[in-house]
Amino acid sequence: MKNRHWKHVSAIAAAAVMVAAISGCSSNGEGNSPGVQSTPSAGTDGGSAVAEYPSSFSYWVELDGDSAASLTNFSEVAAYKKLEEITGTKVEFKHPGGDGAQVKEQFNLMIASRNLTDVIQTNWLAVPKGPQNAIEEGTIIRLNELIDEHAPNFKKFLDENPDIANMIMTDKGDIYAFPFIRKADQLKVYYGPIVRQDWLDKLGLDKPATIADWEATLTAFRDQDPNGNGQKDEVPFLLETGAVRNESLNQLIGAWGILAKFYQKDGKVQYGELQPEYEQFMATLSDWYAKGLIDKDFPAVDGKLKDAKVTGDTLGAFYGFASGSIGKYLDLVKDHPTFALSALSHPALQAGGVSAAGQLSPTYPGEHAVVITSEAKNPEKIVKWLDLGYGEEGHMLFNFGIEGESYAMKDGKPEYTEVITQNPDGLAFKQAQARYMRTHFGGPFLQDLDSFLQQMKYPQQLEAVDVWAQAENQIQLPPITLTAEESAKVASIMNDVNTYSDEMIIKFIMGVEPMSNFADYVDTLKQFGVEEAIGVYQAALDRYNNR
Amino acid sequence: MSDRWFVRLARDIRINRHVYIMLLPIVIYYVVFHYGPMYGLQIAFKDYSPARGFLGSSWAGFKHFEEFFGSMFFLRILGNTLLLSLYSLLFFFPAGIILALLLNELRSERLRRAVQTISYMPHFVSLVVIVGILFDFLARDGLINQLIASLGIEPIPFMRAAEWFRTIYVGSDIWQNVGWSSIIYLAAISNVNPSLYEAARMDGAGRLKQIWYVTLPGIMPTVTIMLILFIGKFMTVGFEKIILMYNPVIYETADVIQTYVYRKGILEANFSYSAAVGLFNAAISFLLLVLANTVAKRLGETKLW
Repeated sequence: MKNRHWKHVSAIAAAAVMVAAISGCSSNGEGNSPGVQSTPSAGTDGGSAVAEYPSSFSYWVELDGDSAASLTNFSEVAAYKKLEEITGTKVEFKHPGGDGAQVKEQFNLMIASRNLTDVIQTNWLAVPKGPQNAIEEGTIIRLNELIDEHAPNFKKFLDENPDIANMIMTDKGDIYAFPFIRKADQLKVYYGPIVRQDWLDKLGLDKPATIADWEATLTAFRDQDPNGNGQKDEVPFLLETGAVRNESLNQLIGAWGILAKFYQKDGKVQYGELQPEYEQFMATLSDWYAKGLIDKDFPAVDGKLKDAKVTGDTLGAFYGFASGSIGKYLDLVKDHPTFALSALSHPALQAGGVSAAGQLSPTYPGEHAVVITSEAKNPEKIVKWLDLGYGEEGHMLFNFGIEGESYAMKDGKPEYTEVITQNPDGLAFKQAQARYMRTHFGGPFLQDLDSFLQQMKYPQQLEAVDVWAQAENQIQLPPITLTAEESAKVASIMNDVNTYSDEMIIKFIMGVEPMSNFADYVDTLKQFGVEEAIGVYQAALDRYNNR
Repeated sequence: MSDRWFVRLARDIRINRHVYIMLLPIVIYYVVFHYGPMYGLQIAFKDYSPARGFLGSSWAGFKHFEEFFGSMFFLRILGNTLLLSLYSLLFFFPAGIILALLLNELRSERLRRAVQTISYMPHFVSLVVIVGILFDFLARDGLINQLIASLGIEPIPFMRAAEWFRTIYVGSDIWQNVGWSSIIYLAAISNVNPSLYEAARMDGAGRLKQIWYVTLPGIMPTVTIMLILFIGKFMTVGFEKIILMYNPVIYETADVIQTYVYRKGILEANFSYSAAVGLFNAAISFLLLVLANTVAKRLGETKLW
C-alpha cells in the first residue's frame, strides 16, 4: 500500500518537474494573431468626411518619477482634464509599473503579446528593430496621409520646418509618430559637470578647465578636507560609466575628441572604444581611481546614493542636470552654511581647448514620441486629438497648464504661479508641474522655451546651461533609423558588446584588468563584429544624409 | 491491452472519484500553464516576430542555437549556472537535513518550537527585502565591514567583488530557507518507528549512533526524492535574486543562463534567441533528472519513476 502511494506521488512529481523544466523557457504569446495587417489608410475611405474627436481611446505611457510623486494616473493631470472638457474624449491611460528596465520589459511584453493600446508613447528610435519595422509588421500605422488630412496644426509645423520633418521620418519617408520637439538651442542642453563652488572657494581654487586641472582640483578635494570635518571622507568625483557610454550624455569622454560608442567624423562613422584616444581615456580614469580621486563605489551608485553623497556633504564633483541636480540639491540642502554648486565647462585636454562633445539633445530626441497602433479603431479621430498638442491651446496646456491656476499672463507672457514655484503642498518644482502639464518630462508637443527657462529658479541653473553649451558637438550622429534586418543584426552584435564593455570598462578603471590588456579588449570587440555594426550605421547615416 | 487499461482507469475513477476531482485543478494548471506554452517553443527554431505570430514567422533552423554555442558568453554562463547549483547542492541541500536532525535531538519542546519558527521565518520575507538587507549589511560602510574594520582588516566591497558572489548567494540562501527546507525532513523523522530507537538503545547505541543507524536510514527515501527533485531544478537557479544582486562588475561569476535569457529576450526582444537558450537549459535539466533517477534506481529502491 505504502509503495503504491509513493508511486502515485512520484509519478505526479516527476511529471511536474519535467514540465517545469521544459516550460521554463517557453515564451508566452498569443498564437492566434493574424498575419501582417494592412494599415488602414484614411485617404481611401471617406476622406471627405471631417473627423470628430474620438469618444475614447487607450494611451500607454510611462508614469515618470515627478508625476508618480503625487499622481497615480495621467487622467488626474489638469491639462488632460481640460482636454477632455474640450474634446469630450475619455483617454484611458495605462502606465507600466516601475522605471528603467522594467518599463522596457513591459513594453516588449505588450508588443509580443499583441495587447496593444490605441496609442503608445515611448522612445520609438530605441525600440527593438526600429520604427520602420513596426510599420511593416503592422504594429503601428503610417501617419503621413492622416496628418495631411486631420492634423492641420502639426502639418503646418512640418511644412514650416522641413528639416525637422526629415528627422521624424523613416528612410522610406514614413512618419510614424507625433514627436516631442526641442526646437530652440537652449532647450537642448541640460546636463554637464557640477562642482561644489564653496569647496573651490575654501581651497582658493579656480574652476578647472582641462583634464590636468581636474586632476589637481580633485586631488585638493581629497587631501585638504574641504568639508572641514577633520576626516578624509571626501569623495572627489563620482564617475558614472553608464553616462559615459550614453551617446546623448557623453560624460567626460568628449575631452578626448570621441564618443564611447558610435559617432561621426567627416561623414564617416567611428566607434570610440576601438580608438587609441579611448585607451588614453581609460588610462587616465584608471590612474584617478588608483589615486582615490574617483568614488570607490562608482559601479554601484544609483540616483539615491548620489543624492545622499551630495546632500551628505561628501561629494565634490559630479555630472548632473540643471533642474534635476543643481535645482534639486539647492532646494534640498538648506541648513548648510556654505553649500553652493556651480557648473563647470566640459573639460578639454589642452588649455584653451573646447570639448568635442558634451550633452546635446537632438531636436527630435526620439523620446516621448506617440504612435498610433493598428489596434486603434478610429486613427483619424485620434490624430485629430493628438494634433491639439501642436496648436495654440494644446501648447499652453502641455507647457504651462491651466491659466489662473498654474500660470498667469504677465505683459503678454505666461508665467508660472506660486502653485508651481513655491508649491503649498511642499512639492518640488517639477513635481508641482506634473500635476498640471507635461513639459517637465515630455510628450507629443513642442517644448516651450519660456517654460523651460522658468524651471530654472536659481541663476546657477541658467548659467549652467550656458556653460555646458560650450562644446563643439559636431560628432554626434543624427536620429538615423535602421531597417529591420539591420536592426536585428546590430542588436545581436551590440548586446554582446555592451555586456562585455560594461564589465571591462569598470575593470580597467578599477585596475582589475591591467591597461596592457587594452589591445585584447579591442580585438574582442572586433570579434563580436563591431566593425560590421559600424558598416550598418554608415549605411544608415548615408541614407539619412540623402533624405 | 490499452482497452483494458482504459476500463481499469474508468473503474478506478468511479471508485476514487473524489481523489480525481481533487487532482483535476492541478492537472488543468499544468496543462494550461506548462504544457500549453510548449507550443510556443517552436520560436526557438524560427525568426519570431510578434506581429506574424507563431505560425507566420519564418523558420530559421538551428541558427539561434549556433549563435548561442558560438557566443563568447556561452561557456561562462553555463559554468556559472552549474557552479552556483553545485554549491547549493553541496552546502544548501545538506543544511536542511542537518538542521532537522539537530532539532530532533532537542529535548525541550519549547526551545525546539522557537528555533523552528525563527529559522523558517525568513522564508516568508520578500526576496527584494532580503537582497536589500544584504546590500545594507555588506556595503562598504555596512555592519559586516565595520566588524571587519574593527579587527584591523581592510573593508571588502562584497557586492562588487566577483569572487564573493557565490558565497553570498548560497550563504544568504541557507540563511533564508534552511528552516523551511528542514520541515519535510522533520516530518519524515517523526514517521520513523519509535521501536527502532528502543531496539537501538537496547543494543547500546548512543545518540550519534542512533542518528546514524536509525534516523538517517529512516529518512533516506525522502532525502533521495528531494535530491532528485533538486537535481531536476539544477539549471534553474534563483534568477530573480541574481537580477537583484548583480551588476556588470560581477557578471563574471553572477551571470547565469536565465539572467542572460532575460536580458536578451525580454529587454532586447530577441525572443527566438532566448527561447533557444531556454530550451537548451531545459534539455540539460531533463537530462540531469533522468540521470539522477537512474543513479538512484541503481543504488537503492527509491526513485521518481
